[in-house]
Amino acid sequence: MRMVWLIASREYLENVRTKGFWITILIFPVIFIGIYFLQSVLSDATPTRYYLLIDQSGKYEQAVDVAIERNHQRRVLQAFVQYLLDNRVETNFELTAANASSAADEFVDDVDANQVAALDDWLSNGGLDFALVMATPYLKKDSPPFEQPENQFILADLPSDVDASAAPAEIVEALRPYLTGRKLIGSGEDSGPLFALILIPENVDQSISRPNTAPQAPDPNSGVQYWASNLTDSRLPDAIAGSINAEIREQEYEKLELNTELVRNIQRTRMPLNQLDPSAAAGEEAVSMADTFRQFAPIGFVYLMFISLMQNVQYLLSNTIEEKSNRIIEVLLASVTAGELMMGKLFGIGLAGLTTIAVWLLSFYLFITLYDSSETELISQILEVILSSDLIPWFVFYYFAGYALYSGVFLAIGSLCNTLKEAQAMMTPMIMIQVVPLATMFFIVLDPNNTLVRIMSWFPLFTPYVMMNRAAANPPLIDVIGTTIVLIASIALVLWMSGKIFKHGVLRTGQPPKIVELFRLFRSPK
Amino acid sequence: MPDSVLSLENVVKTYGDFTAVDGISLNIPKGSIYGFLGPNGAGKTTTIRMILDIVKPSSGSISILGSPSALDVRNRIGYLPEEKGLYKKMKVWAVIQYFAMLKGMQKKQARDQAFSLLEKYGLKDFAESKVEALSKGMGQKVQVLSAVAHEPELVILDEPFSGLDPINQSVLEELINDMANNGQTVIFSTHVMQHAERLCDHILLIAKGKKVFDGTINQAKATVSRRVIVATKNDITQLHQLPGIDNITGTDSDFPNEWQLDISDSFDPQEILRFCAEKNVGLSRFEFTEPSLHDVFVHLVGDEAREHQFR
Repeated sequence: MRMVWLIASREYLENVRTKGFWITILIFPVIFIGIYFLQSVLSDATPTRYYLLIDQSGKYEQAVDVAIERNHQRRVLQAFVQYLLDNRVETNFELTAANASSAADEFVDDVDANQVAALDDWLSNGGLDFALVMATPYLKKDSPPFEQPENQFILADLPSDVDASAAPAEIVEALRPYLTGRKLIGSGEDSGPLFALILIPENVDQSISRPNTAPQAPDPNSGVQYWASNLTDSRLPDAIAGSINAEIREQEYEKLELNTELVRNIQRTRMPLNQLDPSAAAGEEAVSMADTFRQFAPIGFVYLMFISLMQNVQYLLSNTIEEKSNRIIEVLLASVTAGELMMGKLFGIGLAGLTTIAVWLLSFYLFITLYDSSETELISQILEVILSSDLIPWFVFYYFAGYALYSGVFLAIGSLCNTLKEAQAMMTPMIMIQVVPLATMFFIVLDPNNTLVRIMSWFPLFTPYVMMNRAAANPPLIDVIGTTIVLIASIALVLWMSGKIFKHGVLRTGQPPKIVELFRLFRSPK
Repeated sequence: MPDSVLSLENVVKTYGDFTAVDGISLNIPKGSIYGFLGPNGAGKTTTIRMILDIVKPSSGSISILGSPSALDVRNRIGYLPEEKGLYKKMKVWAVIQYFAMLKGMQKKQARDQAFSLLEKYGLKDFAESKVEALSKGMGQKVQVLSAVAHEPELVILDEPFSGLDPINQSVLEELINDMANNGQTVIFSTHVMQHAERLCDHILLIAKGKKVFDGTINQAKATVSRRVIVATKNDITQLHQLPGIDNITGTDSDFPNEWQLDISDSFDPQEILRFCAEKNVGLSRFEFTEPSLHDVFVHLVGDEAREHQFR
């Protein structure tokens, strides 16, 4: 045992002393924090976008304006909710957050369903100013003033050489240089590329489709024409489509002489839907945000497990190959048994892997403690829920099981190869196998007790990942016990086999052995 | 034999159809310096690996320091493998300390030993360097030191001299002699005969996995007949009249008039000079030398070694 410890501590120290180890350790938090900040910077920094509206029918200009205004108000509201969360007086956080965001959701839903009314309500109630006054008692004394986000979509001026009453095709032709960015379009003093052209032809109403009428062949020139080079930002076209649809429905109501006020009010009736958790104790069934996160948390664990295992087994592999290629292994085997050497390596490098995870968790913890914002507070509360849940023991178990299983395989590979290049060819299938549970982890967390997922759990190389993935969903006991037995048996088998391969492989030079030779090896006494 | 540190009894190792070591038996007395000689691929390294129980013999038995397996007594054995290598990123003293600790030495003791060995064998200034900063020869010296730092009773060095310059070769010879004087038994393999000749009490000569010779240097030399080289333009066949001369052959050299005379053990080479003076045989060369280990080697395994070379 002293030898195992000695080898383990050398492997550990040697790893920990390399630059690569610390680069790997530090790059993860740096990238994590970097992405975190980049995301918030990017979402704040969406550039101003100029659009042109040419409504030859003269009916929908207002509907488009409303759509754009709604889009703006929604952003104002989101910013406002965020502002409330950031600056509120300490209260029950989850409740506040849930209330505020559900209120905001409701409002946005309203706005979507019925443009003018909800917006009118918000504005006639005093809009943002009123909301700020209402919120004041709940805000901290030294809160900074609320900064309203700027309007993202700005109406551009129609260039003087473009005739708004010309045929749509001519208008598009004239504006094409602006749309493709070759010319800049002006808006008051400023100018910029034209983001979108909304062209509503005179006879647009002919394109309205109604249920129970024969479907028309799709015609790109019918209906409202939305011209834009940017195909990914769908907020504007969606808003316009919704808004114009609401407008034509309104017209239909009027045509049928329905009371539009009544229709609006009917449309705004709603029934609350409460998510309840049958496995929670009485009185605590209401599904909180933390509960939802707890369900998704396994994804994080699976990912952490994958990264850490990959890192560890790479060390194991390159270490073994180093010792093998320069024949240190022979000296070692004259001093210790192959079993002691293998165990020493497994422990030492496993310890290095734990160090990595510990540093990551520590930096994560420092981040959420030192950088205080509503998101990090949310994260830390979620973390608290996760840490107090039963996921941690699962993670610890599957982490070690996964490590033992995969390191056994990789150690065997390492002992059979003389160069990293050789090893890489043999490693690729092992990495591909791990990609399967990784690629399906989102699917698994949504449907954790699906038949296919249950079958996957029984494949030992998948078990640590898939069972970790299912951990939050109370998998059937037969799955838990059965896969654990299969997993432990496989670990024992893999370690036994790789012990054999290791003992023979490490003294081997030249080509990796053929499969037949390996089988012969398992049958041989030593 | 009570003071035998290592004995092999009819040891065989086969790899599939190939027999690497074929029935080797030997006995190594305590405190001796024992040379394993043989051409490339003769089975020296395989024999050493079996002695160390890194590979199991296919048949036969081994007793090392009174135990059937080297693993039971591994702390009393030091081993330098044929192919040399060390952990590149470790410091020189730490490597020696690590290997000594693997052999059961305590941490502090191992560290002190590392520094004192480095000082004694001229590597003091490199103690704090990383192994990768050393030249090949220095690295090899460090490796030898790491193999013997725990002062093992039995030291096994596989090709310790290869890759060393003449100065470091003599440092290594000094180290081997020091160990023998200290009562340690040293086994080393080589195919450089001069080292074996200078250092060894006993040698084992193997070729194609079989033992060709096992004994002292003098016994080895006795296997080669004594010889005198002469050059003469006169008729050499007259020398057959001398009773102690067994055979006369032309030498391999470019000189047509050079001859090798194989003489019997009791024959005095002076007789040849006397005879030639009497018979007016003019000698342009007369050379009587003891056979070297090199001659023994070529004599005993020359054909097989050459065959191996061209295979």
